[in-house]
Amino acid sequence: MEAAVWVIILPLLTAFFLGISKLYFKRIFFPLVTGSAIIYLFLLILVITNSYPPKVYSIGDWDLLGINLMVDPFSALFLLMIAILFFPFIIFSMKYNKFMKHDYFIFAYLMIAGISGMVLTADLFNLYVFMEVSSLSSCALSLYKKTDRGIEGTFKYLIMSTVGSFFILLATILTYYLTGTLNMAEIPLAFEDIPFKIKSTLMTFFVFGYAVKVGLIPLHAWLPDAYEDSPIPYNVLSSGLVLKSAVYALIRVLYIMFGVDFLDESRLLNIVVFWGVITFIIAHCLAYQQSNLNRLLAYSTVAQIAYIMIGLFVGTEAGLIAGSFHILNHAIMKGTLFLVVGIFHYSIAAVEIKDIKGLGYKFPILSFTFVVASFAIVGLPPFNGFLSKWLIVEAALEAGFVYVAFFILVGTFLSLTYYLKVIVTLYTKNEQELEMEKAGLSLKLPTIFLGSLCIVFGIVPSLPLSLINKIPEFLLDNEDYIRILLGG
Amino acid sequence: MEIPYVVVIILFCLGMYTIITKKNLIKIVIGVTIVESSLILLLMLVGYIPGGTAPILDKGYELVVDPIPQALALTTIVIGGSVTAVMLAMVIKVHKRYRTLNIDEIRKLRG
Repeated sequence: MEAAVWVIILPLLTAFFLGISKLYFKRIFFPLVTGSAIIYLFLLILVITNSYPPKVYSIGDWDLLGINLMVDPFSALFLLMIAILFFPFIIFSMKYNKFMKHDYFIFAYLMIAGISGMVLTADLFNLYVFMEVSSLSSCALSLYKKTDRGIEGTFKYLIMSTVGSFFILLATILTYYLTGTLNMAEIPLAFEDIPFKIKSTLMTFFVFGYAVKVGLIPLHAWLPDAYEDSPIPYNVLSSGLVLKSAVYALIRVLYIMFGVDFLDESRLLNIVVFWGVITFIIAHCLAYQQSNLNRLLAYSTVAQIAYIMIGLFVGTEAGLIAGSFHILNHAIMKGTLFLVVGIFHYSIAAVEIKDIKGLGYKFPILSFTFVVASFAIVGLPPFNGFLSKWLIVEAALEAGFVYVAFFILVGTFLSLTYYLKVIVTLYTKNEQELEMEKAGLSLKLPTIFLGSLCIVFGIVPSLPLSLINKIPEFLLDNEDYIRILLGG
Repeated sequence: MEIPYVVVIILFCLGMYTIITKKNLIKIVIGVTIVESSLILLLMLVGYIPGGTAPILDKGYELVVDPIPQALALTTIVIGGSVTAVMLAMVIKVHKRYRTLNIDEIRKLRG
């Protein structure tokens, strides 16, 4: 059958067989995990290369209005991110997690199945179901270490994300009530007769629900707590894929169902851009106060997500390209930072910033990778973060948001302060002898791979941009999307 | 027509109020369940047609209710059940660690 269907089925099957292998065949664990990851990589590449022009796959024996999967450039970007992040994730966590590997990888594969389902589906209720799959297994992964803080943080995460899901479900049901369909192509056609106020109310429910999942301030409270005491490879996938998939769903729902004209008319674009500015200013200030490395990076994630939201919600073509590019870049940069912190944690159990004093001389290459990634995330040339941030500023100026450009500059200085604090600690001389556990090549290779991507995408941006440039075509102008989905 | 919808709204708001204001972890889980029930009730209402029978395509079944919301309600019940199960499992873990279910005291213990 079509490759796109197998992108969802393969991780589910792998999770199932991992469960069986835990009970009966412990020996096939390693070949199962790596083998299915390699096949998955090839499947993803196959689907990504076939993403333009968009393709529709109908599932089951129904005609057009059954359940559809659709691959367009915007979903291909997320599949590309899975392809980049998933293999380093597997290699890193094989070594990093010393116990209960079976359960860990079962949940990881379930999470990937949920995310790829969210990204591919063209049906509103399936979007909700896949989101629940990914967020429940994400909760299970963040609980993995079973420490006190981990349990508290995960409980908070679970409650808040469930409340967010309820609002999304409510909006989905109301949409069905108003239009009589859940297909993303039919909803905008049926929406034309519905009064403005009712549509705005629906939109508010959607935005509130997804804002919890995305973690905009003041709905971010679960994020640092859930990241604080969770396994590091999970943090990479969570900040790279789980949060982004919520951004994806929000954009897909708003741009395809409501259309950019309605968003502009209802002033949502201005509201979200303003909300994003407040979010990243506060998040940078909060990040400065943290002494725990994981929490610092978590607050930095909140700020970067706000940049992404600003880029995607200025409502122009340039904005969509800039926002999508920053999605990809942030996944790579934050992945690198988390992995380096993970290696420090693995070898000398470093948790706080003061613990990593002097490590710059003991881990020269890794520390350099950390410096590269943090300069990229602050937005210094010639790394990839600079480019996408510059594109966001340019798009905001073009759309008339002058204050946004000014505040992004202020935000850059704020983020420079706390990343410099970490880097300076890293390169301060420390006379104390440290007990080190040697980090093997399987920990270092994925980190250096992701770190080198920061430089590669900064110097040769045309590589990802050739995919990203096609995104606005099917998001800004939802008529094409609807025509293809209805089989025109 | 209005009364069932009013019940849905009351249940939803009641559940949200419980989640936001209560200090006891079990009460929060109960609030989550109440909100969930209100949404399942809403799904049933959306598909309901007065006088409709079971959605079976056969002779003798002229007026049937909308089958899609019923299928969706089943899915929602399954998801809700698993979310509640995970939450209760975590409540047990928290209680084992801290010997209390009050949020404020857990914060204090954390120190």
